[in-house]
Amino acid sequence: MVHAHTETALSVEGLTKIFDTGFLGGMPILGRWFRGLNLKGVAQGLRVVDGVSFSVSRGEIFGFLGPNGAGKTTTIKMLTGLIHPSSGGGTLLGAPLGDRAARSKLGFLPEHPYFYDYLKPLEFLDFYGQLFGLTARERRRRAEALIDRVGLSHARGRPVRKFSKGMIQRLGIAQALINDPDLIILDEPMSGLDPVGRKDVRDIILELRAQGRTVFLSSHILQDVEMICDRVVLLYRGKVIDEGSLDALLQAPGGVVEITASGLSPAHMEALKPLAARVANVAGGHRFYLDHGHDQRALIEAVFQAGGEIVSVTPHRLALEDVFVQQIQQAEGR
Amino acid sequence: MRQIYAVTLNTFREAIRSRVLYSLVLFVLGLMVLTLLAGAVSLNQDIRLIKDVGLFLSSTFAVMIAIFIGASLVHKEIERKTLYTIAPKPIWRWQFLLGKYLGVMLTMAIQVGIMAAAFIGLLTVSGGLWGQEVAQAFWLIYVEVAVVTAVALLFSSFSTPALSGIMSIGIFMAGRFADELVAIDFTPKVHDDGGALEQILRGLGHVVPDLSLYNTTPYLVYDQALPDGYALDATLYGLSYAAVALILAAALFSRRDFT
Repeated sequence: MVHAHTETALSVEGLTKIFDTGFLGGMPILGRWFRGLNLKGVAQGLRVVDGVSFSVSRGEIFGFLGPNGAGKTTTIKMLTGLIHPSSGGGTLLGAPLGDRAARSKLGFLPEHPYFYDYLKPLEFLDFYGQLFGLTARERRRRAEALIDRVGLSHARGRPVRKFSKGMIQRLGIAQALINDPDLIILDEPMSGLDPVGRKDVRDIILELRAQGRTVFLSSHILQDVEMICDRVVLLYRGKVIDEGSLDALLQAPGGVVEITASGLSPAHMEALKPLAARVANVAGGHRFYLDHGHDQRALIEAVFQAGGEIVSVTPHRLALEDVFVQQIQQAEGR
Repeated sequence: MRQIYAVTLNTFREAIRSRVLYSLVLFVLGLMVLTLLAGAVSLNQDIRLIKDVGLFLSSTFAVMIAIFIGASLVHKEIERKTLYTIAPKPIWRWQFLLGKYLGVMLTMAIQVGIMAAAFIGLLTVSGGLWGQEVAQAFWLIYVEVAVVTAVALLFSSFSTPALSGIMSIGIFMAGRFADELVAIDFTPKVHDDGGALEQILRGLGHVVPDLSLYNTTPYLVYDQALPDGYALDATLYGLSYAAVALILAAALFSRRDFT
């Protein structure tokens, strides 16, 4: 997938967060002194995010991946102003992190969101619309449209306390879009959703990109990430261990391509074998396995010249899960 | 301003829907029982007793509700993670805090208003007279609530609800005796500690809000008008104290990480 990314929607440089732990660690002045002594259980600094740098271009879907405890949510909290970075910084929509004006064009869905459960969906979205300074008419219009868009029309008269987990997640996505944002940060947006819900969310995310918006999402469901993300960054123990386009990341080291052909005689098959690394008989024909050393075009042309038909050409990609596990194991030195 | 208004209204709506105001039924019942008891045990002093105990009950009840709500105000937002979707919006943290405070004060205005109505109703039924001083007394109870709520919110901005509640009650109790604390004098000396305890208690008397200003019972019980300008002075003092507490709360809240 190729996109013309010229502007940066989000970038961070050396973002670091050290949490003060121990019973004295959190104290304003004494804590700093005790942290210097680094006494276990008394006052210690726990480096949760360590010099994280990456950049997200406008109009792309950017995946933020990592195992549990990698520092994804802490990083996202720094991006959204919930946590102050210990060092490092960045820009969000061209302004420094935490800038109030930039936040008016930011949509955010936290992990496991919880909302005021006494509100009904329209009241809820109206409240969030007010925080963006929208007029009553605009709030009403957007709230109605978003409730329909996230599939909550049937629950508009119900207070949030009577919502299922999936419904809360859908409402959370609606509140993240109430301000018509340019950049949307979604922390585990597929969490708690059934397959239909996941597809709905994927569709919404793809629709947002089609409208030119930028989506930054973290997810444990790598299948979803693989289906929609343009680029990803992989975080492990607070550090970035890989970053790049999904296409490049998932390209098999051997560059294997599978070509299935039919209608080839045994004599032609013998002639074609040297053009592939391996050939296998499959139902209705033969499958040729090509790696970097083989020319796909030459094989396809040879198949046609031999009077055969090409049934399929499948570039063999690694699954994101395989890459993910591989990278983590490498980082662990296994 | 729209952001503050939104948070205020939402806080008020939460209080109404959580049925906090139902606690007033207890208060009104308590006042009615008091009236019956006063009539039974006092000899022509029932009106004074109703005024005395009625005002005490009103202010104590209002302050306790304010501490109950105020002490958990911020913590609840963090604990339930409702703040996580609000803080990233274009709202300053101080605006959120002020909105929450004003929402509580709006709720308390209704609480104190209903208390005043119940007080006046019982006084009227019992044949007592009432005038402007009753309105002033309840206004000052409201100002006292404003001070205590701001203090509770200050503690709530960096502490747990339980600890905030205990500290707020401590400040409330010390504040009620602030006028006596600043003038404390242990003579003759029981312990020869160089007057350190006196100094500490006097210092405490200067730091805690002087809530004795809001006790107008002696005036009401003896049907005396409040001195000229008293209510205004007490109001200005209370609002200034509340403003300082809120500024401190906002400063602490702005630095806080929502982990």
